Amino acid sequence: MPSLFERAATALIQGRSGDGFGPTPGADPEPEPTALAAIALDDDDARRWLLGAQRADGSFGLDVGEVRDHAATALCALALPPGEARERALDHVLATPAERVASDDSAPRDADLVGWGWTLGTAGWVEPTARAVHTLRRLRPSEMDAIGAGIGYLDDRECLGGGWNHGNPLVYDVPIPPYGQTTAVALAALHGAGSAVGLIHRGVGVLRRLWPEERGPLTLAVSLAAFRLLGLPDAAQVEVALDEELGRTEPAPDAVALAWAAIASGPGLSALVVPS
Amino acid sequence: MNDMDRRTFLKRAGVVAAGAAAAGLGIGVSAPGLLRRLRRPWDEDAFPPPGRPRVLVARAASYDRDLDRTVETALRDLGATVAGRSILLKPNLVEYDPDTVINTDPRLVAATVLALRRLGAASILVAEGPGHRRDTAYVLAASGFTEALRESEARFIDLNVAPVRRVALRSRFTDLRELWLPEAVIDADIVISMPKMKTHHWAGVTLSLKNCFGCVPGRIYGWPKNTLHWAGLPEAVVDVAAAVRPSIQIVDGIEAMEGDGPINGTPVHAGILVFGTDPVATDATSALLMGLDPRGIAYLRDAGRFLGQADLERIEQVGEDPERWMTPFEVMPAFEHLRLGATSTDGGGPDGLA
Repeated sequence: MPSLFERAATALIQGRSGDGFGPTPGADPEPEPTALAAIALDDDDARRWLLGAQRADGSFGLDVGEVRDHAATALCALALPPGEARERALDHVLATPAERVASDDSAPRDADLVGWGWTLGTAGWVEPTARAVHTLRRLRPSEMDAIGAGIGYLDDRECLGGGWNHGNPLVYDVPIPPYGQTTAVALAALHGAGSAVGLIHRGVGVLRRLWPEERGPLTLAVSLAAFRLLGLPDAAQVEVALDEELGRTEPAPDAVALAWAAIASGPGLSALVVPS
Repeated sequence: MNDMDRRTFLKRAGVVAAGAAAAGLGIGVSAPGLLRRLRRPWDEDAFPPPGRPRVLVARAASYDRDLDRTVETALRDLGATVAGRSILLKPNLVEYDPDTVINTDPRLVAATVLALRRLGAASILVAEGPGHRRDTAYVLAASGFTEALRESEARFIDLNVAPVRRVALRSRFTDLRELWLPEAVIDADIVISMPKMKTHHWAGVTLSLKNCFGCVPGRIYGWPKNTLHWAGLPEAVVDVAAAVRPSIQIVDGIEAMEGDGPINGTPVHAGILVFGTDPVATDATSALLMGLDPRGIAYLRDAGRFLGQADLERIEQVGEDPERWMTPFEVMPAFEHLRLGATSTDGGGPDGLA
């Protein structure tokens, strides 16, 4: 009986496109799935693809018209080996926080805490901010101001009672509930952060409640990674659920979900550990 | 409905404009607004002038009875040609909350699949790229779509991760210029937009045009697809819809949402389905059925200039009597001006938000 890691890794490899990985089996390679697969599989071919895909400004993404998608850059930095390309990716992350958005009744916020966005020159959101925080904490821990600002953003955008949704905890005075997947991404980013003990404590409580209800493969895979990074025993139950889910989900899990499953259940998780 | 009945309906609703061009240019428009509307930011050869489309309102008290027959009959009555065509059904599937009605009901989607098969569609694909949740498998399962798709043997693809191609925009209300769009959307012979009938706290209403946001891949534009909002929400609705070109619309107004939509609103039983082959006409009629003046909805005004017919006097209403089934929807304070009978038609709500 193959392990969860073997199943996820096999499915991931079966869908690869040349050196890289597309979002779905056989699709053209893209930075995010390729970065996650490189981490999951410790795959030098995938890293080579990333090196070839890096933009001149150090970022990674898919441009179209006026839109520059760059949210994969932090993940790519985690996947790259030490060297100039990784440093340029980190420089890009540091140089491109999101735009300031004024607070208003529709979505009250601390406008000075901008976080990081999905695309260049737009607003910040939880998942890209968590990626930036995670990567900087692991690879550039000396950047304490940027890390602090990112954690501050996550603090500001925490949902009522803990955890995170996409990044709007309150809209027109209505609390918006947290999601399992974004809560897990943020917890993975914050593991071991002494300045975020309260956020982590509340987030863990929320994730314990949400993962049994939100049993999609991506939610379960990132939850497994978060619980493992936090050293919590919940990981065992989540792994069983993820193993079941991978076999029956329709549509079949995409490459990002498979890569997260392989990272969470395999040796690639060590690439996400923030040294204490 | 005969013509006299239709005009009576429109007059009672307070939306027959004094001038023939009022629907296109708006009323009480400021000088900058007028200048903006005099611009023609679209390729005229790509958008033939709107004609006199038909919009069909069908009564449907619940999701349990013969919905497939209702859909089949409506599409036949509209003259929608689906035989031998590849169809992409685009429901509105954003988020899941058991206490409200955010999404197009999966039973309506399943019924539409059955109806399209009977009408001879060559292939049917159900497709969506949820706007808030990244875990599409979870949203599908929780909202009942997984089961409905299995029972109707319909294939689903997640537009957030599907293969994409660059598309040059033929309209330029935003500065986006190009979009990544899923190949499945580009290659389908017919895209059927199947929105939930909802108010929207930043756009006024969300119907078949706004539903096209779900075609834009989240892996590039984010969760939420705020990059589009950042480009200007009403303008982005127009540009994205003009790129997707949904040629059939089926609006789920059986259990709809009023107030703080599209997520936190209150369920409201409207008991109707709205069918059309012109998304602007369908949305304008749907707004009217919600007790809202479509001329006050910024993106409908712009779309009505080139993408379809917004002039209610030029839309042929067929099927049920819209006046009889109009349900006044609650709206957020910023959109009180949309209520039928309100004087101002210039509005839009805040931009640049999720």
